[in-house]
Order: sequence, then C-alpha cells, then structure tokens
Amino acid sequence: MKINVNALKLSALLLALPLTVNAAQDELVEQGKYLAKLGDCTACHTIDVGQANGGGLPFTTPFGIVYSTNISSDEEFGIGHYSLKDFTDAMRGGVAPKGNLYPAMPYTSYHLLTDQDIEALYRYFMSTKPVKQENRDNDLMFPTNIRMGLKAWNLVNHDSKVFEANADKSEKWNRGSYIVNGLGHCGECHTPRDAMFAMDQSRHFEGELIGGAMASNITPQELNRQGWTKQDLDDVLRKGYSRKGTVFAGMYPVVFHSFSHLTKDDMSAVTSYLLDNDAEVAAKSDIFNGHDKSDPGYALYTGFCAGCHGIDGEGKPNVSPALIANATIDKAAPINTLSVMLNGVEEQRYSHTHGFYAMPSYRDTLDVKQLTELTNYIRKVWTKQPSDLTESQVQDWVDQIEDSIADAAH
Amino acid sequence: MSTIALSINNKAIGPIETSDDIMMIEFLHEHLNMTGTKFGCGVGVCHACTVIVDNEDGTSESVRTCINGVSRFNGKKIRTIEGHAKENEFGEIIKLSPVQETFIENFSFQCGWCTSGFVNETTVLVERLKLMPIHVSEIETVIDKALGDHICRCTGYVKYYQAVKELILATEGLTRS
Ligand code: FES
Ligand code: FES
Repeated sequence: MKINVNALKLSALLLALPLTVNAAQDELVEQGKYLAKLGDCTACHTIDVGQANGGGLPFTTPFGIVYSTNISSDEEFGIGHYSLKDFTDAMRGGVAPKGNLYPAMPYTSYHLLTDQDIEALYRYFMSTKPVKQENRDNDLMFPTNIRMGLKAWNLVNHDSKVFEANADKSEKWNRGSYIVNGLGHCGECHTPRDAMFAMDQSRHFEGELIGGAMASNITPQELNRQGWTKQDLDDVLRKGYSRKGTVFAGMYPVVFHSFSHLTKDDMSAVTSYLLDNDAEVAAKSDIFNGHDKSDPGYALYTGFCAGCHGIDGEGKPNVSPALIANATIDKAAPINTLSVMLNGVEEQRYSHTHGFYAMPSYRDTLDVKQLTELTNYIRKVWTKQPSDLTESQVQDWVDQIEDSIADAAH
Repeated sequence: MSTIALSINNKAIGPIETSDDIMMIEFLHEHLNMTGTKFGCGVGVCHACTVIVDNEDGTSESVRTCINGVSRFNGKKIRTIEGHAKENEFGEIIKLSPVQETFIENFSFQCGWCTSGFVNETTVLVERLKLMPIHVSEIETVIDKALGDHICRCTGYVKYYQAVKELILATEGLTRS
C-alpha cells in the first residue's frame, strides 16, 4: 500500500490546528483574568450578596448615586452580547452599546490599555459565569442624569489615547507607569479633580480626599521624602502592611482584590515607577524623638493610643501598626491622622496569619482641642513635621473629612 | 509615673502613683484588687473588659479597659461590675440590679467571663433608652447594635439577647408602641 505522505501531514495539521488555537485562546483568557485583577474590576462590579461581576454596587457621587453594572458574560443582563469593538469602545471611550458610561467607570484610565490587553480582558469576561442580575437604575440629579451630557464631558475632558512609552525612562519604569496609570487606575483616587470633576493632570498623584480619608500623595517626591524603599512599597501593596505603615479605608480592598495578585516583575515595575528609580532605595532611619511628659498630648496618647500602638509607638504584630516610621502620620496636612481618629479603621484580614484588629472611632469621644493636642503630639514624637497646628486648622480638616464621606465614587 | 485619681462606683479613689503605660484593667486588678472586670483578648475585640464611664453631661459610655490606658480615666467617674448590686452596711449583696437579675433568670451565662462586659453594656443601653425611648419594633436591631460586639464563648447569644429584650419590654418608659 502506498502511503500518501502529504495527506498524512495535512490531516496532522488539521488535527493540531484547533488545539493550538484553543491553547492560544486559553492563554488569552488567563492573561485577561490576571489583567482583570490588576483592574480590580470584580471589586466594583460585585455586591456582598451577589455573584461575581453581577454589578449593583452603589457609588455615591456629588451628583447622586451611580450603580455598577453587570459585566458577566450573560447575554441579557451582562455584556455577553458585546463585540470586541463594543468592549473596546467602553474601555477606551466610555461608550457602551446602550450609551455613554458615567466616568465612575475609570475608562479615563483604561483608555491607556493596548489592543492586545483589551482583547485578553474581553476574552476573559466572555468566559465568566453568566449572572442573571438586572442592572439598577442610577439615581442622579438633573442635569447629570442625562447621558447626552457625558458626550460633551468626554469631548472636553477625555482623551482616549493608548499608552505611549516615555523614551527617557527604562522599560521597567514604563511597564510600571502602564500598570499604575492604566489598569491600576490609581489616579482616579490619588489625583485631585478639577472643577469639571476630571483628574487634574497638572497635580498628578498629589492626593485627594475621598470617602472620609485622603488618597495619599504618591508622587515620587513625597514617597522618597517619607523614606519608602521599593521593598516597603512591595510590602504595603502586596500585604497591606509594611515598615512604613498600613493601608486603610478604600485602599484595603484594592490591596486585597488587586495588588496582592501582582507578579513579582510587575510589582517591581510598579515600585520603580512610583519611586522613579529602578534601583533599591536606601531606607531612612526611623524617627522617634522621645516623649515629652509635660505635653498634654502625652496623657492623651497613653490613655487612648498606647494600648495598641505601644508606649513608644512600636505597634503590636497582627493587632495594630507601629507609629515609628509610619508614613500616614508623616504628612504636611494631618488629614489621615485625623481621619483614622474620627472614623476608626475596620478590621483587616489578609490571610489566616496576617491581619489587624479594628481601631475604634473617636468621633464622639475626642473634641477638637484633644484632637489637636494628640495630632501635634504624634507629629512631635514620631515625625519631623511641625507640631504647632491650631484648633481652627484642625476644625477645618475635620469639616473637610466629614464633608467628603458621602463623595466616594472612585 | 503618673498620678491617677478617679471615682469608681461612687467612691473616690487615689491619688495613686502608677506607671504611665498600664492599661485600666491592670490598674483595676493590680492596684485596687477589683477583679470582676475580666481580661479576655487584650486587644479590644471581645469587649469582656468593658466598664461604664459617666460623662458630665449625664450620658454614659462603655469603654474597653484592656486597650485604654489609665490616663484616659483620670478625673472620671466610672462604674464596674462591682458597683451594680445593692449592698448592706457590711458589704453584703442584698439586691442585684435589674440587668443582673434578668441574666440570671434567663440562664444567659455559663462561665461568666463575658458577663461583666454584657452587664455594663446592657446597663448603658437601658439608661439610654430611659432618656430616648425607642419604638417597640426597633428593639431587636437596637439590642444587636449595642451588644453585637460582645463575644461569649459559652452560652451563645440567644439567652443574653432574650434576657435584654425581656427587660426592656418589662421596664416602663423604654419603648413606645
Ligand atoms: S479583653 Fe478587652 S476587649 Fe477583649
Ligand atoms: S458565659 Fe462564658 S464566655 Fe460568656
């Protein structure tokens, strides 16, 4: 019998082809799954009592309430009917098949994504479990309830261009910038907003009060001044705590759902970008200026804080963070120091062996005079910040914190 | 060292010299031999160590003594579990407080470790409801909010909550219908 070698080769090829295509598709879905974690998509698109990606989480904005939508693969309620182009338009331009999206959806950052990453995300979402959950109507006041207005907003405030590498910087730095500014959408909270509620890029990453706490200034200047090393940033973003303190408020879920999943290389890129330095940075020596028992803040500190944070601010492992070297208290404006005193901090569990207990709220316990004395005292003992804040300054910050509690969209 | 003076269960205590970094529970146990306040977790979670602080404005609050240093209580009026029952002139207990009574009647506790915290928290709640009565339909939510942070390892919570509910309903002026 004569064997047709060419026919054999062809059939082998035909057999192998679907497998290769499938393998490539699977890889894309896997990549999309990782990217979805970087983008923290599920955190906003899932409610406590709902299924993953089913939407429904309310975002209180100054204009009313916006609800996140169902982004599961369900064809009726989710985005299962989207084409790749529809998905790309939503991610880059904030335009979904049904109309413009509110910029609570951070397309204002996601537009930086490459085509390849957008496709990976698309493939991943198309592979997710369909969730039969209807979207909720937003509860916005006039005129923001008219989606047409968003077209005009986008025209003035949105630039949908894809990420462009900075040729003066390393590949690593650029990868970090891509993650942080794109999927990480860090600027959505950490960049102050202008009068149009768009990110004010002239003050990129300089910090913004949101939901009762300050999304900190994370410019390289500030992080380097505070003495963060690459390892400290790696620790705080991966584990939620570090030599330089812990994350709290809105940053806790970000670490939990998103940053803790970064690969080693991506994390290294992120920390290089944030510190604007590819090499490890030397740690600065920790500050402890010693107690001043004659200061009225001393009795407040020993009475209210030392039980958990330690008499010398050394903290307690798995209970509460140290104040020594803590970046939260080392800021020109003590908004976050006041914020944790007023709001407390919810319990944080990162794993079975790592976590922190809740910090109580002192809103009804400490008055402005005491808040001022305590804040000044903490600055005096554990930072180089001036400790001469006045009660009226503190009252102003307290008012700003309280006012910001309702405005918690992104 | 700090000098501490305060009122505990209507008795003036101090001035007493104590180190700056001791927590209130240690002060009660070691300086005053008042061991009714129990030390559970030591990190502010179980609320077993709760005492009552009576503010000057007539309101009261519950405060955990394991995470609050003695200086927080300097010059304050506080109540501990030792101060609830009525005593005769020889220091013998002649009558329990209504809160203590309801917990006994309902078999709310077993080992009793959490009980002083529950008694203090419930007392604060009942006194608050005297000033600000609630609608009867809110009763369970209000109890849950007040006692929800207290941990009991033995009897569970049903008997505690049941006891508090009974007491609130049976005390005039705490609820409206
Ligand atoms: S012992 Fe104080 S809260 Fe547990
Ligand atoms: S009765 Fe034992 S812990 Fe509550």
